[in-house]
Amino acid sequence: MQRDTDILAPLGATNPSQQPSLSCCVPTCRSRSAAALLPEPSRHEAGAAFHLLPPRPSRSFPMRKKAARVVPEWLNSPLWSAPPQAPASPDPYGADLSPPPPPKPQPPPTPTPTVPPPSYEQAVGSSRRARGEAGWEGDGEDEDEDSGGAALRAHLLSDFKLALSKKVINMGELRRLACLGVPEGGAGVRPLVWKLLLGYLPIERAFWPHELQKKWSQYSAYIDEFLLNPSEKIRRFEETKLLRKKELNSDKIGLLPRSEVTNEEHPLSVGKSSLWNQYFQESEILEQIDRDVKRTHPEMSFFSTKTNQESLRRILIIFSKLNPSIRYVQGMNEVLAPLFYVFMNDPDPSNSASVEADTFFCFIELLSGFKNNYCKHLDDSQVGIRSTLSKLSQLLKRHDEELWRHMEITTKVYPQYYAFRWITLLLTMEFSFNVFIHIWDAILGDPEGPPETLLRICCAMLIIVRRRLLAGDFTANIQLLQHYPPTNIDHLLHIANRLRGSVAI
Amino acid sequence: MVLVLALGDLHVPHRAADLPAKFKSMLVPGKIQHIICTGNLCIKEVHDYLKSLCPDLHITRGEYDEDARYPETKTLTIGQFKLGLCHGHQVVPWGDLDSLAMLQRQLDVDILVTGHTHQFKAYKHEGGVVINPGSATGAYSSITYDVNPSFILMDIDGLRVVVYVYELIDGEVKVDKIDFKKTATMHA
Repeated sequence: MQRDTDILAPLGATNPSQQPSLSCCVPTCRSRSAAALLPEPSRHEAGAAFHLLPPRPSRSFPMRKKAARVVPEWLNSPLWSAPPQAPASPDPYGADLSPPPPPKPQPPPTPTPTVPPPSYEQAVGSSRRARGEAGWEGDGEDEDEDSGGAALRAHLLSDFKLALSKKVINMGELRRLACLGVPEGGAGVRPLVWKLLLGYLPIERAFWPHELQKKWSQYSAYIDEFLLNPSEKIRRFEETKLLRKKELNSDKIGLLPRSEVTNEEHPLSVGKSSLWNQYFQESEILEQIDRDVKRTHPEMSFFSTKTNQESLRRILIIFSKLNPSIRYVQGMNEVLAPLFYVFMNDPDPSNSASVEADTFFCFIELLSGFKNNYCKHLDDSQVGIRSTLSKLSQLLKRHDEELWRHMEITTKVYPQYYAFRWITLLLTMEFSFNVFIHIWDAILGDPEGPPETLLRICCAMLIIVRRRLLAGDFTANIQLLQHYPPTNIDHLLHIANRLRGSVAI
Repeated sequence: MVLVLALGDLHVPHRAADLPAKFKSMLVPGKIQHIICTGNLCIKEVHDYLKSLCPDLHITRGEYDEDARYPETKTLTIGQFKLGLCHGHQVVPWGDLDSLAMLQRQLDVDILVTGHTHQFKAYKHEGGVVINPGSATGAYSSITYDVNPSFILMDIDGLRVVVYVYELIDGEVKVDKIDFKKTATMHA
């Protein structure tokens, strides 16, 4: 363990005033860093004279260097504390943030459209600098933040509207904006943004009516096909075939005529092809769906209305019938709920009739990336949930080996104890409704795709509370991770962004 | 879509040991919503077995039933239909359709289910429909030894009823169905 405490010591020659906030962590490192910094020669290729170099101006991931075990400098900064420890140091964030990797920071607070994707940090960073305050936990700057924030939000909203009003939507631009998050007051913007990001609507605006019409009629066909119970189906079948020659309403008195039952189509049949048999076999899944729909977000009155629950139920039933390999898995209702909520609250009246159909197809799109996580047979395979969890573990190991070692080896807190729910429910249970909708903006908007982005965000969630995790044992860590503390979302997304580029293993 | 099982005249253990195996394999819990039984079970074990198929069980008293607490007649409403239940030994002549029609008018029901003759019958008259599910075990009746095991399953869906008739003929289960609709003039 001695070796591990070494790597906590900052790499560059930083002033000791930055270190006190780390004091609660590993006390032994203080004594070491107070002495002259003599790093092990194997750790850094620059050798023994390392500590004489000035602080490096460029922010480069240690991944690019050979010494991959080193904790990156930006990770070491005290701002990665979970709230609310107000840092004693002056503006560590500002110092750390200058200058972000690709282009130079731009003086005006608004991002220009020509800047390439990882401009999120730049935009936020520049806006923070424009407001000129210190640190994230700015308790004293509420008014300043608010006015600055409001201006930023209004500008962002107008950016969104501009991007959406074009005839041919520029997806790259839209993704970049989505990663910044749809601001409050953007209820009209978000449904459209999500539909575009999920690929439900084509890029050319002119094709929208046609596509929508097609999808809506397809959905009604699905309803007809899947939601009728067997007696209705048989009746429709007979009506189309005109099998009933006699008028049933006749006043004829006498013995009622008997007709033959074909193909074992009676309710007690056990034949595989019998409609009735299939119906009874699926009734278990239908009951499960029913129960889950009633339990979705009980704290929100939106989800307690009968009509909304009915819509959710229909969507889930049709989905389970269209996907016999995964059927319905508990938790899909939680993934469906935000989509439905956002689309239902679309102030645009032209979409209100088709909310269910839109939600259904977007749900399919969203789940397509995560399908393998739900399939029981794939659990242990290369693509199933276990491999996703191990990817998360590897990601953490790459970026923060010390934390990884503490979690996996020392305290044995494996990802399946906490991250299973994070991944399969797409973080809907970890944060409050408005918060995770904001996170979903980033997940859907990221060009890397939802699965990879989700893993990065999970890793970022771990890194944010690293101090508490490192100090805790098995029970404390599990408790913490299963009841994840509320945290600043911009902060979280920012870190997730920084982890970019090293997901694929 | 309500599934109602109607059966009766089992006469277990006096005249028959049990339901035919093929019938028993088809009758599983969870599919049927109501059971109506014309009577003559005769013992409590049969009652318990029927109760295990479906908790909503209605029975009327047959002349050999050992439980004296069953009522003579019963009426219940399922969906849009009123069903009447009676064993049928009280209606003399046994199985006579006019007398049964009188009983139906008396009970004021759309469908009257009776037994006792151990023969399946489904008859429509201006007052409604009379159905006899026959004997589910094929027990001999007071009139004849030649009895095929039979029972019926009604699928009540709005104003329409589809009656599936299950009969065991020569060791094979034969299923037929009967369709009828309720009209406004069915009973005054």
